[in-house]
Amino acid sequence: MGKVIELNADKCSACGACAVACMDQNDLDVTEGASAFRIVRDLEGADGGYEYYSIACFHCEDAPCISACPCNCLKKDEEIGFTVYDNENCIGCHSCAMACPYGAPCYGKDGKMIKCGGCAVRVKNGLEPACVANCPTGALRCVDRTECEEL
Amino acid sequence: MQKTAVAGFGCAGYHAVRSMREHGYQGEIDVYTDTQWAPANPMLTTYYICGKLRREATLPFGAIEELSQKYNFHIITTSVQKVLSEEKAVLLQDGKTQYYDQILISTGARAFVPPIPGHESERVFSMRTIEDADRVRKILEGREIKRAVVAGASMVGIKLVELLHARGIHCTLVDMAPYIFPLAAVPCVAAEIERRLTGMGVELAFSKALKAIEEDGQRVVFADGESISCDMVLMCIGTRANTEIADENIKVNRGIVVDKRMRTNMQDIYCAGDCSEGCNLQTGDNQIIGIWDNAARQGETAGANMAGVVKEYEGNMLHNITHFMGMDFIGFGDVKSEGEEFLYENKEKGEAFVIRVKDNKPVCMNFLDSYGASGVLKAYMINKFGGAGRQMDSVSKVRLLNEGIPEKLINFLESNSQEEDVWEK
Ligand SMILES: Cc1cc2nc3c(=O)[nH]c(=O)nc-3n(C[C@H](O)[C@H](O)[C@H](O)COP(=O)(O)OP(=O)(O)OC[C@H]3O[C@@H](n4cnc5c(N)ncnc54)[C@H](O)[C@@H]3O)c2cc1C
Ligand code: SF4
Ligand code: SF4
Ligand code: SF4
Repeated sequence: MGKVIELNADKCSACGACAVACMDQNDLDVTEGASAFRIVRDLEGADGGYEYYSIACFHCEDAPCISACPCNCLKKDEEIGFTVYDNENCIGCHSCAMACPYGAPCYGKDGKMIKCGGCAVRVKNGLEPACVANCPTGALRCVDRTECEEL
Repeated sequence: MQKTAVAGFGCAGYHAVRSMREHGYQGEIDVYTDTQWAPANPMLTTYYICGKLRREATLPFGAIEELSQKYNFHIITTSVQKVLSEEKAVLLQDGKTQYYDQILISTGARAFVPPIPGHESERVFSMRTIEDADRVRKILEGREIKRAVVAGASMVGIKLVELLHARGIHCTLVDMAPYIFPLAAVPCVAAEIERRLTGMGVELAFSKALKAIEEDGQRVVFADGESISCDMVLMCIGTRANTEIADENIKVNRGIVVDKRMRTNMQDIYCAGDCSEGCNLQTGDNQIIGIWDNAARQGETAGANMAGVVKEYEGNMLHNITHFMGMDFIGFGDVKSEGEEFLYENKEKGEAFVIRVKDNKPVCMNFLDSYGASGVLKAYMINKFGGAGRQMDSVSKVRLLNEGIPEKLINFLESNSQEEDVWEK
């Protein structure tokens, strides 16, 4: 069990509202060198048409970033299954970035890992993650893993 | 009641015990450890020496006493002398024998110090355990150290250079190999790293064989007759798997040979971590892949199987990451394999990315200061070696584009086409 944030690429228009909401929610100042948790981008399809994507951590069920971290900074949130972290002992080694098949871990300007934690606190309080709450097209949804076909 | 022994409690041992309990193992677990300071992460020693981590933080999962309550096991602080595989017993230092239903060997590895004359001096150090770290800390705090020789241009060696250099100590990095990271770096990436190191004032002495350490650790003598004077010597030549506890029935090469379920050739004897030889996906051979994540996954797999749940770990490819002196180096695959080499550089960002291709498959990749794409490409390579042949998905492509990997290269990886002009050589 556990929750995931799911993207329906057909609905996404790459407007970037989710990324802005995410930076706001997490106090990410990308001008100061922090990397953004959520990236939004278009992708040219094989037929020449464009698809739009908004991606961040997928909160993998068997998350490879967790066992890769030499300092045990990452773990599964027991209640909602998001991949959460405590970076107090993070040494900024980038092992988590190398282990993640989606390149999701980010780093703050102090060099320590930061990443999408699924807005776990919001979700525990019955709210949507910031990105989901701010998506104007309904492309992003926070659902139980079992409901999510794509992953 | 069923009884299990775990010999050695590092990363692999810890994950095995955790996994056994999480997979519902109800029996008794005896954990044998030759140190109370467990389960420790050896790679954090240098961070502890420089003060970046507290001593306790070198135990990433917490202290052994807490863990023994959480996962319900007995701590037996004594070294195992032998695993008697037919009797399924462990022979202890005091000559006593204890019998079990199954045994895990997770004794890891040790730093290898070649027995050259003078290696026993108090000014000669190696790095793996907390005691090693304490020794180095003590000499750095106690005596005036101006010059150090670090032998072994490895991932461990470079971390020690970083540590000493930051304290204003003049370092000479020595290796038999002709360039830095000989087991992971392609020559052009190694050359760039060396250029940067030299620029920072680190001296490099490559293609040099150590012959002796003289003057009580204050002179290093090479086979060619040259010598360097110094105040301390750090030996990071390599590691050796702790396989001696396996008895003669257990199959051992450089490490103890295991299958995908971490079983040795002897029934009910398992092995995981740096002491084991799992599958190298690239070659299909058994090989020690001595990295933290691999030890964790092997331990986890052993634990599941010891709890009676069939679980396989396919294996891994050789890979390394090291972050030092403002640089990031990542190497994937077998650097010794031949192939055509292509370099992609983003001079503006100072990033470099090299890929070596043979028969239209990447056999080796290097990244300098461009870790962002490494996760996607690692998964891609492992998939390729594993024979899954899965297409690169859109999300991976989005990430690669975002990290500035050229579209042409992505198309190549996706299609395995033979387009020659894909590359900027
Ligand atoms: C300085 C340094 C830097 C490193 N850097 C990296 C890195 O950047 N990235 C990376 O992935 N990996 C790195 N590694 C490798 C990584 O630390 C190992 O792969 C990992 O710790 C292996 O875990 P393990 O459990 O197999 O073995 P160990 O951690 O060696 O644990 C084995 C345990 O068994 C105990 N033991 C041994 N023999 C006996 C016995 N007979 N009886 C009882 N107990 C015994 C040992 O004392 C030890 O506690 C580094 C290693 C070092 C030394
Ligand atoms: S960081 Fe990567 S590996 Fe970890 S849970 Fe997120 S997507 Fe999965
Ligand atoms: S960068 Fe930090 S969180 Fe990531 S693996 Fe290294 S120590 Fe762990
Ligand atoms: S807010 Fe919604 S539509 Fe806009 S980029 Fe994000 S996911 Fe796409």
